[in-house]
Amino acid sequence: MLIQILNGLVYGGLLYVLAVGLVLIFGLRRVVNFAHGSLYMVGAYVGYTVAAIAGFWAGLVVSVLVLTVIGAILDRFVFRPLQDEDPIVTMLVTFGLLLVLEDVVRTIWGKDFLTLQPPPALSGVVLLSGTNFPVYRLAVIGVAVMVAVGLSLWLRLSRIGLYVRASSVDPLTTGMQGVDTERLSATVVAIGAGLAGLSGTISAPLVALSPSMGGYILIDSFVVVVTGGLGSFTGAFIAAMLIGQLHNLGVVFVPGAASMIPLVLMVMVLIWRPGGLIKAGA
Amino acid sequence: MSGKFVRLPAIFLALAVVGALLPNLLGSALVLTLLTQAVLSAILATGVGFLVRQNGLVSFGHAGFFGIGAYVVALCSTYHVMPIEAALLLAILAPAVLALLLGAAMLRLAGVAFSMLTLAVAQAFYELVLRWRGLANGDDGIAAQLPPRILGLDLGLFQQPGSMFTICWIALMLVLLGLSLLITSHFGTLTMAIRENEERARFIGYQTIVPRAVIYAISAAIAALAGVLFALYNGFVTPDVLYWSLSGEALVMAVIGGTRAVWGPALGALIFFLFKNAAGDLTEHWPAIIGGTLIVVTVLLPRGASGTISMLLERLGVRAS
Repeated sequence: MLIQILNGLVYGGLLYVLAVGLVLIFGLRRVVNFAHGSLYMVGAYVGYTVAAIAGFWAGLVVSVLVLTVIGAILDRFVFRPLQDEDPIVTMLVTFGLLLVLEDVVRTIWGKDFLTLQPPPALSGVVLLSGTNFPVYRLAVIGVAVMVAVGLSLWLRLSRIGLYVRASSVDPLTTGMQGVDTERLSATVVAIGAGLAGLSGTISAPLVALSPSMGGYILIDSFVVVVTGGLGSFTGAFIAAMLIGQLHNLGVVFVPGAASMIPLVLMVMVLIWRPGGLIKAGA
Repeated sequence: MSGKFVRLPAIFLALAVVGALLPNLLGSALVLTLLTQAVLSAILATGVGFLVRQNGLVSFGHAGFFGIGAYVVALCSTYHVMPIEAALLLAILAPAVLALLLGAAMLRLAGVAFSMLTLAVAQAFYELVLRWRGLANGDDGIAAQLPPRILGLDLGLFQQPGSMFTICWIALMLVLLGLSLLITSHFGTLTMAIRENEERARFIGYQTIVPRAVIYAISAAIAALAGVLFALYNGFVTPDVLYWSLSGEALVMAVIGGTRAVWGPALGALIFFLFKNAAGDLTEHWPAIIGGTLIVVTVLLPRGASGTISMLLERLGVRAS
């Protein structure tokens, strides 16, 4: 049972790192980045390629950096020029990007599944309640916890964090108070994309790499964001942990229908609390 | 009011007859195959566009309803659960009921969240079919064991491009006629009012969730109708019919055609297929082309072809008078 819960925490952690990026971007730009799953997938492939040359850690660092730059470019050339349009326009464009990125990766790396080995320092197992549990999985949980703690400290204690929270509640008023929302958005979208790269690379040793790998986790992270309350950081954390556990139990007990469980949970939450678990900005 | 009920059916009857005669005039098998696909996609795109027009909502997951329709036909005919006619009805009603229930829950959210969830629902069904191999052979796909006669017509008629073009064309005309009558009805204007200002419609005293959920269900049923025709035409269904590139294709068609006119998305589908035919050897990179086109058209041509045509007609009208 402990093992099941830990596996749930691993998936929940990956989901949280991805979903919190969506929440950050939504907070500043009021758009949903449909290409977020593709950024995760691109992150995994970049990590894989660099890791093959210079080792896992270099792969992780380069992947996060590359995706951060991609995020800044995305903000400058997609979100910023389209900010006065209907949010639908931006969504359509990011959905177009999703299709393009998937095809680009398929062309460069091929359709076949690729695998990335965990770093040697973390490739062992530990004995937990009579079962061998990979150390790497514990490390993934550790990374998710660090991201969660780091982000909430940053959001709560720093001045930029204050601006980000204010903007998540009301971007217009925040701008009127003299906050440079353009620069803030560029920073936040870059961080969000960087987190997608982080999530992609650390998940690479756990799952097989394929151009469509972003699809499955994108569904779950959308469900996490909506269930948690669109624009809520705490809500995203709670929902990610909940859906991580349910997903894992689903994979063990009803493998064929596992993808349906998060949806059922979401519909129930929305009927109970139409706004999601937690209010935006919290 | 009475004029509408005579004039519109007359226009669509004329169009249906012209379309039905077209295969005899063209004769070329290649063109007919292409046109049949185009009309099938036109039905799907009409469903997507109607949701945008009446609800102001974008669905990134209409492939879900299309695919469920196709899979219900394939599964029911293969396992002989029920007569084929009942299966066809179920294949259209089941996605509509699903949309009605999902809509009742999801439409309480902002439009952005609704769009995210449409994609999530469709991908969840894609994963379900892919991973539950016992249901429909996963990614190997499933061949529908269709009976020799369906709705009193020979199965062959559904599987030859010439006759299938006529069937799909008539179906498209019926859908467009139905929608044209619907949008001028009380219900049509009510949903438009809700789209324009949900709060105000609520203050006047209207319930605003159910009408929008009904529009979502109608739009899903139209997508499912396209899926049913697809399953009859191909006789073979793979999980690709649920994948997001199909939802993307339908969106591109609706965006190219423009959604202000009910017939816009169908026009978009025809333009899209001419374009696809011209792309020829590039079809290997088809998803990237769809994605790229979606981006370009969304940014540069927000009104779409039908909007541009209407605008030109208006200008000509002004000059003439």
